[in-house]
Amino acid sequence: MRRAGCRRAEEPSLTGRDARTALCHLIAILFVFLALPAHAGTLGRAGMEKQFPPPLVVGERDDRIPVWPILKQEAGSYEVIAYAFESIDFARIPGFGGTAPNLLIALAPDGTFRDARVTSHHEPVFLEGLGSEPLFAFVEQYVGLSARQPIRVGRPNARAAGAAPATTVDGISMATASTRVINETMLAASLAVAREKLGFGAVNIGLRVEAKPDVEPLGLAELERRGWVKRWQITHAEVDAAFADTGLSDPDPGAPEKPFAELTLAYLNVPTIGRAILGEAAHARLMREIGPGAHAVMVVSSGHWSPLPDEFVLGSVPDRLTIQQGGLTVNARDAAWERRDLAPDLPAGPWSLLKIGDAAGFDPSAPWSLSVKVTRERGQIFPEKVACEIAAEYRLPPELFTREVPDAGPSWTDSWRARGVELGIIAAALALLVPVLARQDVLVARARPFSLFRFGFLAFTLGFVGWTTQAQLSIVTLVGTVRALVHTGDFGFLLYDPPSLVLWGFVLVTLVVWGRGTFCGWLCPFGALQEFVAFLAKPLRIRQVTVPPRLDRALRQVKYVVLAAILLAAALGSPLADTFSEVEPFKTAITLYFIRSWPFVLYAVGLIVLNLFVYKGFCRYLCPLGASLALAGRLRLLDWIPRRPECGSPCQLCKVRCRYGAIEPSGKIDYPECFQCMDCVTIIRDPAQCVPQVLAAKRGKRLVPQPVAAE
Amino acid sequence: MSLSLRPAMERRRILLGGLGALAALATGPAAFRALAEHRGRRAATRAGLAFGTTVSLTLVAERDDAFEPAFRDAFAAIRAVEAAGSLYRPDSALSRLNRDGRLDAPDPLVLAMLRFALTLAERSGGAFDPTVQPLWTLWSDGAARGERPGPQARAEAVSRVGWRHVAVDETGIRFARAGMCLTLNGLIQGFAADRVMAALAAHGIADAFVDTGEFAAAGAHADGTPWRLGLGAHGDRPSEVIAPFAGFAATSGDDATAFSPDRRDHHIFDPATGLSPTALSRVTVTAPSGLLADGLSTAAFVMGEAAGAALVRLYSGCAARFTVKL
Repeated sequence: MRRAGCRRAEEPSLTGRDARTALCHLIAILFVFLALPAHAGTLGRAGMEKQFPPPLVVGERDDRIPVWPILKQEAGSYEVIAYAFESIDFARIPGFGGTAPNLLIALAPDGTFRDARVTSHHEPVFLEGLGSEPLFAFVEQYVGLSARQPIRVGRPNARAAGAAPATTVDGISMATASTRVINETMLAASLAVAREKLGFGAVNIGLRVEAKPDVEPLGLAELERRGWVKRWQITHAEVDAAFADTGLSDPDPGAPEKPFAELTLAYLNVPTIGRAILGEAAHARLMREIGPGAHAVMVVSSGHWSPLPDEFVLGSVPDRLTIQQGGLTVNARDAAWERRDLAPDLPAGPWSLLKIGDAAGFDPSAPWSLSVKVTRERGQIFPEKVACEIAAEYRLPPELFTREVPDAGPSWTDSWRARGVELGIIAAALALLVPVLARQDVLVARARPFSLFRFGFLAFTLGFVGWTTQAQLSIVTLVGTVRALVHTGDFGFLLYDPPSLVLWGFVLVTLVVWGRGTFCGWLCPFGALQEFVAFLAKPLRIRQVTVPPRLDRALRQVKYVVLAAILLAAALGSPLADTFSEVEPFKTAITLYFIRSWPFVLYAVGLIVLNLFVYKGFCRYLCPLGASLALAGRLRLLDWIPRRPECGSPCQLCKVRCRYGAIEPSGKIDYPECFQCMDCVTIIRDPAQCVPQVLAAKRGKRLVPQPVAAE
Repeated sequence: MSLSLRPAMERRRILLGGLGALAALATGPAAFRALAEHRGRRAATRAGLAFGTTVSLTLVAERDDAFEPAFRDAFAAIRAVEAAGSLYRPDSALSRLNRDGRLDAPDPLVLAMLRFALTLAERSGGAFDPTVQPLWTLWSDGAARGERPGPQARAEAVSRVGWRHVAVDETGIRFARAGMCLTLNGLIQGFAADRVMAALAAHGIADAFVDTGEFAAAGAHADGTPWRLGLGAHGDRPSEVIAPFAGFAATSGDDATAFSPDRRDHHIFDPATGLSPTALSRVTVTAPSGLLADGLSTAAFVMGEAAGAALVRLYSGCAARFTVKL
C-alpha cells in the first residue's frame, strides 16, 4: 500500500516534468525551424552593389536613415542619379497574408521612380498561385512615374483603356488586395525618403486648399464677432499659471485679471478678411507678392507685453511667435509689409504679417494655433532663462475654402462601392437562406422542393460566391488576423475584400445560432464542388468506403492539429504559416480555377476524388477553417435539430442516413460535425420516412414531432 | 563667403581633368592595373553625399581588407563635421545656434571652425565673415521670386551681418544682435578634408586623394604616379593642372549657385555691400590645411587679386591662383 501510495504521488510530478520538458523541446525546435521573417532591410552594401552594378556607384549609406545614394561618375565628378532603399525600413504594411512585402526602390532626385523591384513578399495569391511574374511586372510599371503624384491601382489594362498614365498602374485581377498593399508600400516608403532626402512631401502632399474668391462686405466688428479676426487677451493670471511649476514670479506683476498681452490675428488670404484689413488693392498686392500657394497671417500686438519686441527685425522669423498645426510647427516668416496698409481701426502696436510658404503643408481650412513664448529669468548674475508657451486656437469655416484632396488611390470604400452589385446579390441570397433554414416546417419538410432549393443554392455558392466573386472564406484570413493581432495591430486588410467580410460576418452570427454547418454545408464553394461531384458516385457505381468508427474519430482530430500548426506558425511570425495554409485546396480549385502548377492541381483533384469514396473527407478530417469554425461553434445557442424519444433507441435511420457521421448511435447530434444539410430534419418531419411515425401510423396513432429546442 | 545651400554640383565641374583621369585610373585600364599589381598596391574609391553635394575618397593600400575600416572612419569624420556645422542638417549644432540665437556647451568641432573663422575675419579686415547668412536668405528668397533685392533690403540684411557681434567662449556661442545667422560653408568642406586625412593617417593610409568639395591628397597613386588636380573647366579640359598635387586645395568661384545668368550675383557676398564681388571669377588656394585653403580662397575672392594675394602671403605654405572675371 505504502509503495503504491508513493508511486501515485510521484507519477503526476514525473509526467508533469516530462510534459514540460517535451513542450520546451517542441518550442525550441519550432523556433529553430520557424525562422522569423526579416524586420529590416537586408541588402547591405554588397547587396546594393549587386542590384546597381558598375558603371553605377553605390555611395556611402546615409548615416541616419538606411538610404544608399546611387551615383554615376562623369569626367571625374559624381552625380546622384537615385536614392535606393528597401521599403520595409520605411513602410511596413502587412500584405494579404499578414506579412509586409519588401521592395527595393530607387528614387531619382526629381522624385521619379528609377527602379522598383520586389525583394520579398508573402502574398498568397502570387506565391505558387499566379506566380511572382505578374507581381514583378506590376511593380515595374512604377518606373518613370513620379512619387510627387498620388498613384492608384486601376483595373487590369486600365492604362490601355485611357486611365491617366502618370497616376494609374494596371491592377491584377484576383489580386486586388495584394496590389493595393504593394502600391501603398511603394508610395509610403518613397514619401518618407523623399521627405528626408528630396525635401518635398510635407504632411499634406498634393492637398490644395485655397480661399474661395467670394467677398462678403463685412466690417471689422462683424469679423471679430465671427472670430475670423481673433482678439486674444492673455491675462497675468494665465501667464502665472503657465509658470506655476517653475516657481518664477512675474518680474513686473500686474493685477491677475489685467491683460498681460493683447493680440489680434487674422488669416488674410480669405478676401472677405484680407480686404477688410488691407483694402482691395493692398490685398491683391500682398497675394501677388507672397505667390500662389503661400499664406499670410496678420498678428497685431497691443498689450503691455509684446511678442514682437522693439528689436524684432522685419523679414525675420519671430522667435516669440509660432504657428502650429496638427502638432507640427509651421514655418512662418515676417513678410516685411508696411503698416499703413492695415485697417486704421485695428489696435495700435507692433505688428507682423507672417508668410507661410507653399511647401509648409499648411491647411488654412483646418484649425491651427498661434503660440507666444514668454520668458522669465532666474538668478541675478548669470540669469537662466525659462520660457513658457501659451497658445490660442484659430479656425475658419471650411466653407470659405476649396479643398482639392489628392486622389489617394483605392481606399477600402472604393472596393465596397465597386463591388456593390455582388454584395447585393450575396446579401439577397443570405436573406433567402436564413428563413429557409429557420422555418423547418415550410420548405425543409418537403423533401423534393427542398432538395431542389439546396441544389440551386449550392450552385450559386460555387458559381457566384466562389468562382465569380472570389469570396471563398479561407484560413488565410485567420492567419492574417493572428499576425495582425500578434505583430502588426493593423486589421485594415480585412476591409479590402468586402464580399468575404460580409460572409465572415454572417458566418460568425450563424456560428452562434446554428454552429459551423451554415458555412460548411451552404456557403463553402469547395464544399459545394465536392457535393456536386459526389452526385456522380451513384452513376459511376462507386460505393462509399466505411471508415471504422475508431479511425473516423481519430481522423476527425487531425484538422485541429493542422489548425494549431498554422496558427502557431502565424503567431510566431513564421512564413511557414503560408506554406501550411496550402493544405486548403481552395486557392487551387476556386481562386485559380485549377490553373496552377501540377502538384497543387493533383492535390485538389485528389481530394475531390477522395470525396467520391469518403464523402467530404477533406472537410471532416483536414480542413483547418472547418476546425476553427467547429471550435467556435461550441458557442452555439440552439440545439435546433428536432429529436424524438425514439431517436437512437430504437431508431437508427437518421444516424445511418447522415453522410457526415454527425449523429451518434444514441441519437445525439454531434453539432461540431454537423453540416446543416437538413436531411435528418426532412426525415423527422416526413411521416412517410420517420420510422417512429410510420410505426405509429400503422398503430393508428399520430405522433407530433417533439423538438428538443426551439426551432 | 561661400554660402551654398543648394547642391554645389557646379563647383565640382571646374575641377575636372586631372581628377577625371585619376578616377578613370582607379577603376582603370588593364595596363594601369597590371602596373599597380606589380607594385603590390591597389586602389579603391568610395563616393557619398555630404554638405549637399557628392564627396569621394580614393585610397591606396596593400591589402583589400585595409579599405573598409578606413572608409568607415573617414566617413564618420565627415558625418561628425556635418553634425557640427552643416546648414543642410536642421539638427546640426550650427542650425540650432541659428534657430535659438545661442548654443550652450558647443560641439568642439563647431568651436574650432568658428574660432578659425573669426580669426580670419579679423585678419582679412572683415572680407571673410561667417555671419553673412542673412544675405544668402535675402538673395535666395529673391531668386525664388525672380527678383533682385533692392538697396533698402540689402542694407537691412547687411545690418544683421557682423562677425564682431558673435560671442564665443567654452560655455557657449551667442549672437549679440537679433536676426543674426551664421554660416560655416566658407570653410567646412576644407575642414572636413583635414578631418578625413587625419582619419586615414590613423589607419596608416599614406596614399589618398580626397574630395570633400575641396581637395586633399597625400602620397601617390597605386601605380606610383603623382596625384594631379585639374582646375577650371575649359570645355572638357581643365584650364590648369596642379601636378604633382599633395596637400590641400580649395576653390571659390562665381559659377556655383549663381543667381543671375551673367554670374554677377552668386553665393559669395561682400559683407560690406551685400553684393557679390565682381573682380574675380575664381580663386584657388593651396595650403597645408584644408581649413586654411578653404577660408583663404573665400576671403581672397572677396578681397580681389592684390589684397587677396597679400592676405595669402601672410600664411606660410599657402599660394593663390587668381582668374580674373572677363
